[in-house]
Amino acid sequence: MTLLSPAERSYLRDSLTASPIIRPDSRTPHQFRPIEAKTSFLSSSNGSARVRLIDGSECIVSVKAKVVDLASVSNLVEVDIDVDSFRDDSNFVTNLKFHILNSLANFPSTVLKLTTKYGYKLFIDVIVTSHSSYPLTLISLATYLALKTARLPKLVSEVNDEEIAEQPTFADDWAESTLIQDLLDAPFQPPVLITLGIIGNNIIFDPSIEEEQIIDNSLVIGFYNGRVITPINTISLSSISNGVNSIVLVKALELGNKYGGMVVKALDTLIEQDIDDENIF
Amino acid sequence: MELYSPEGLRIDGRRWNELRRFECKINTHPHSADGSSYVEQGNTKIICMVRGPMEPAMKSQVNATSSTVEVNVSLANFSTFERKKRSKTDKRITELKTTLERTFNECIMGHLYPRTLISVTVQVLAQDGGLLAAMTNAVTLALIDAGIAMYDYVSGVNAGLYDQTSALLDLNTLEENDMCSLTIGVIGKSEKLALVVLEDKLPLDRLESVLAIAIAGSHRIRELMDMEVRKHGNMRLAKVSV
Repeated sequence: MTLLSPAERSYLRDSLTASPIIRPDSRTPHQFRPIEAKTSFLSSSNGSARVRLIDGSECIVSVKAKVVDLASVSNLVEVDIDVDSFRDDSNFVTNLKFHILNSLANFPSTVLKLTTKYGYKLFIDVIVTSHSSYPLTLISLATYLALKTARLPKLVSEVNDEEIAEQPTFADDWAESTLIQDLLDAPFQPPVLITLGIIGNNIIFDPSIEEEQIIDNSLVIGFYNGRVITPINTISLSSISNGVNSIVLVKALELGNKYGGMVVKALDTLIEQDIDDENIF
Repeated sequence: MELYSPEGLRIDGRRWNELRRFECKINTHPHSADGSSYVEQGNTKIICMVRGPMEPAMKSQVNATSSTVEVNVSLANFSTFERKKRSKTDKRITELKTTLERTFNECIMGHLYPRTLISVTVQVLAQDGGLLAAMTNAVTLALIDAGIAMYDYVSGVNAGLYDQTSALLDLNTLEENDMCSLTIGVIGKSEKLALVVLEDKLPLDRLESVLAIAIAGSHRIRELMDMEVRKHGNMRLAKVSV
């Protein structure tokens, strides 16, 4: 998809490689586009979140828990992504799914174990209703919000079912349900994926569609527990694809460590300030 | 389970002729679509986006005398109580899509937009009965928001027949699974039907009473949608005049 004329490309490239970096929407290099979000609006899901960017890109995530026999399932977290106008088996969707699932590899699945025999399986369903730039960060932010606000019902039956086989039963009172965070001793912070655009020796956070057209390469970094975690992947968002030199990579990690915390903090503030009224808009 | 008690109350406490909570919003996605709406009919929740009238991507969609309406329906995996993955070519989805396309091709003043495509995307977030009816309402609102000329509102509701005797309005999933029901789409304040879908058997002598209550219900829904459209219109007008 070509959006820009050669003259525009050249202008944009010059301003993005300049020092200080001048971005077309006057953001600072580490600034995200403004987001609008809402959580817990689906009464039939354990957790839900909707995130919208200023350009109209939108993503809805639902987290549903189902009790399963632990012996019969291999993984307790399943991710499914549906992007408008893309086939489910397309490269685009498969890659997004891979990144999200990969980032959730260190999900504390011990909290999902109910008894020795039964546990919850979490189904994370993502719908991207519209998008212009690469939607990975958008999906990741929405997943973070949905997981953070997901509530699991309280178990009232016996935890130990080694000797007596017993089906888990739950409290009828939804007010007794708990957040995943309350089940853990440590604070629960799912990883957030951040897309970085590399242009020359400069790095920009959350590239917009216009910026994506001219950047040399992009990095996807995960931010978890206050620092950048592996794997760090490169993705090519435009027809240009140059290698990443080690100096830029080190710089990217530094910036990630420095500003990743702010992203997570902003999302946490958002959850705190969200009014619990079950309205989606 | 008793769906309709001798005292005349249904499982959710409604009487036979009462609608569920109906809430709607228009212009919910001002940046990503030309027209958009959000409809909640009971626990059924639907987002609808309209793009167009625009140039069709395929030559086959060009009609020299009228516009072409294309509807894409997508049911979210999490929309039902029990999560279920659906394929995009599901028979039921195809049928809903065709029904909506046929209905709105007739209700839009297509001759005003020759050689264009109007693309409608319907995203179902939660379903609890009355799916087609809620979709019809959502599409109507989104088309109005997009400024596409229509003859009138198309308002939809479903109604069923309990125990071969009493007609019930606006069924939820539990009721829908247990009795024969039909969905209608009424044009404006008239009693003309743009859409009638009856998927199971209904005794012919009872049809009239079921249709009567459904038409009355649709008229009420039209009023509620009209209120929302006018409210939004006034808000936009107030912004312009400042």
